[in-house]
Amino acid sequence: MRTFPARVDPHFDIEEYDPEADLMALNMGPQHPSTHGVFRIKLFLDGETIVKAVGYPGYLHRGVEKLCEKLTYVQITPIFDKHDYVAPMTNEQAVNMAFEKLLGLEVPMRARVLRTILAELQRIASHLLWLGTFTLDIGGTIGGGASLMMYTFREREMILDLFEMLTGCRFHYNTHSPGGNRHDIPEGWETAVKAVLDAIEPRLDEYDALCDNDIFLVRTKDIGVLPPDLALELGQTGPVLRGSGIDHDLRRDAPYHAYDLVNVKVAVDDGCDCLARYRVRVAEMRESLRLVRELLTMIPGGPIIGSKPIKSLVQFKAAKGQVYVGIETPRGELGTYLIGGGDQRGAAPYRLKIRPPSLHAVAAVEYLLPGHMLSDVVTVLGSLDPIMGEVDR
Amino acid sequence: MSSVGLNWIWQSTRALWVTGKHLFQPYTTEGIRPAESRAPRYRASFALVHNEHGEEACIGCKLCEKICPSDIITVTAGPKSLSEATGKKRGTCEDFVLDLQACIVCELCVQVCPVDAIVMVREQEQPGYSREDLVLTMDKLYANEHDKALYWGSGSALMEMQNPKKEASS
Repeated sequence: MRTFPARVDPHFDIEEYDPEADLMALNMGPQHPSTHGVFRIKLFLDGETIVKAVGYPGYLHRGVEKLCEKLTYVQITPIFDKHDYVAPMTNEQAVNMAFEKLLGLEVPMRARVLRTILAELQRIASHLLWLGTFTLDIGGTIGGGASLMMYTFREREMILDLFEMLTGCRFHYNTHSPGGNRHDIPEGWETAVKAVLDAIEPRLDEYDALCDNDIFLVRTKDIGVLPPDLALELGQTGPVLRGSGIDHDLRRDAPYHAYDLVNVKVAVDDGCDCLARYRVRVAEMRESLRLVRELLTMIPGGPIIGSKPIKSLVQFKAAKGQVYVGIETPRGELGTYLIGGGDQRGAAPYRLKIRPPSLHAVAAVEYLLPGHMLSDVVTVLGSLDPIMGEVDR
Repeated sequence: MSSVGLNWIWQSTRALWVTGKHLFQPYTTEGIRPAESRAPRYRASFALVHNEHGEEACIGCKLCEKICPSDIITVTAGPKSLSEATGKKRGTCEDFVLDLQACIVCELCVQVCPVDAIVMVREQEQPGYSREDLVLTMDKLYANEHDKALYWGSGSALMEMQNPKKEASS
């Protein structure tokens, strides 16, 4: 049984803790390139060692949840693209699955398989962006951290080109609608996907070659140790939870879309540190490549939308009712809690609550940072992979 | 914490080999890609089109104005008049203003258009010096029909893609 160091209490009063200590208060962020958005951490430093860290989210608050009460079910999907701007595809799916559950719409099989493929491609693209920025932050790869970022962004652009072929946009697709998808697969798309998968797979080995060196290990091993019990207590999901050795993945445990057709192998690493979270994400990329390959062979024919196509503003109406749908986005469980029957026509939500995985991830920094050096802040924060648009909504 | 070992020579050589391999590969691409190299479905800006009789297709039904999540479309409907080509009475559009500054390119206005009047174009609007440069007035929208590359579809094309059964039966 592995023993973990005693848990730090992030809420102690700094004055009572040690009045004699000559601590320096240092604000990291909100405008700092390594905080991946606008996140402010107030650090109390004893020399270079962090004694206490306080996180201040909220600089990117755009009032998405309140805005959703004004818009109808038809209009909400393009708004949801903006909330996690690194993985817009899975966000659309999350909110549309909630609508479908509330409205009682059946999604055709073709749309379900297509959604699964899109979700897995989006997972690869999101993890590629994470890998590039993470190594850029810590500069831990020989040959410069920036070169790995260039490589991963190149591969990510290939996937975004696939999305552009299908939906017409690199980002902010608005390709889902309640009941199915809006865009059918164009001619030659499957061949293009296969070509991209074949191009990415050998390059993942190159990234491993760049990251498998002593400098990277020193920067990530035993840094930011998140014990399994604390991870559960803080409500972590996704790669952060699996990096702490807990085998939990909604794709396998509560299959949605077409995940029941394939056998999802969940990557788990019980290292609990930044290196474990890195390993989990790289393994997930390989698994996603395999899943997309498998799913490409089983796209059935038929319609891509189970309801009537969008033609008017108040097309979908629902009586009062509440649903919760949680799906596994690249960052963890994105939950959408929806209460129907908002405006007088019943075409808008009464309340829409988003449970973002990134919010729970940044909540961990106050527990993870004390005891580490100042230079480890970007490593810890980068390994949690928070997206501030999702944290603040 | 592990310390830096003596195998750094092997690690550096391998990493430099990976990066060195990319030295001679032409991976640099243009920053702004021309519309021809984009996918046929690529959508960037808007155009209003004429119908097959050469009339302005927009009938001023305001469906696009209502569905726009950002409230950026303003349609002023004109009086109903007889169409010279078909002899039927149809609505007209007096003014159509689309404010690209807040557009989120969601394609919903194209999706709901009953007469395929508004379509998207594959060339982006160029940056301007004033806010008015990004407001597409009716003149600019009709000029886009000829000046810029239109994208693959229209409202009825999207409908056909999403609901092919209905099209086949009718």
